[in-house]
Amino acid sequence: MEVLFHTPLAVEPMLELHAHPECGGLALFVGTVRDHHEGRQVWRLRYTAYEPVAARVIREVEASTKERFDVPYVRIAHRLGDLIIGDVAIVCVVRAPHRAEAFEACRYAVDAVKHGAPIWKEEFYADGSSAFVEGCCIRDDGHDVPHVLPRHPTHTSHG
Amino acid sequence: MIVFEFFASLERLAGARELPFDGVYATVGEALGALAAARPELASLVERCACASGDVIVRRADPVPADGRIALLPPVAGG
Repeated sequence: MEVLFHTPLAVEPMLELHAHPECGGLALFVGTVRDHHEGRQVWRLRYTAYEPVAARVIREVEASTKERFDVPYVRIAHRLGDLIIGDVAIVCVVRAPHRAEAFEACRYAVDAVKHGAPIWKEEFYADGSSAFVEGCCIRDDGHDVPHVLPRHPTHTSHG
Repeated sequence: MIVFEFFASLERLAGARELPFDGVYATVGEALGALAAARPELASLVERCACASGDVIVRRADPVPADGRIALLPPVAGG
């Protein structure tokens, strides 16, 4: 299954509504592009990735989420390339027998991808400038660097 | 010879996608140390980068990858 997409993400095919009769819960998170960041007006975004590791991290998060929350289906897709306000950046779908684990697993999976996958967000502002948003080292062997690998998504989110 | 591959903010700061670099280094950490010494303006960001070779993360203590290519992955947005 592809996990990185250079074209718009389609949510519906990811839901697998009729493929999991044992499941009474479906948690869906859709991350979209917002128009502001730290007081600045954002006009558009560009997502770039180191694709070999980004894809592997996302697949590992799908697998580890299934195991950790004992849910049968976790599917994550991340968009790359140029996006405008309102475009879908990330989709995460979890199917579970009951809602509690569906919600928890979905949140865990999205946090783990955001903190662990080498996918960079470059914001373009109204004045024509742009900047990469950097809040979270993915390095895991530094002395002062917090561990933020997929299994330890302990960072405080500012997004 | 090493080839450093730059991404995102590091690519912008270095003004290049990759940088061929002479020398023989035993570990990834040694190679990064030589890079930081040669390009001090990159040093603090390099310090915060994860490193990769193909689809695996390599750590400072690991040997330089056989193909000599080291991808430097800056911090991500996280939020």
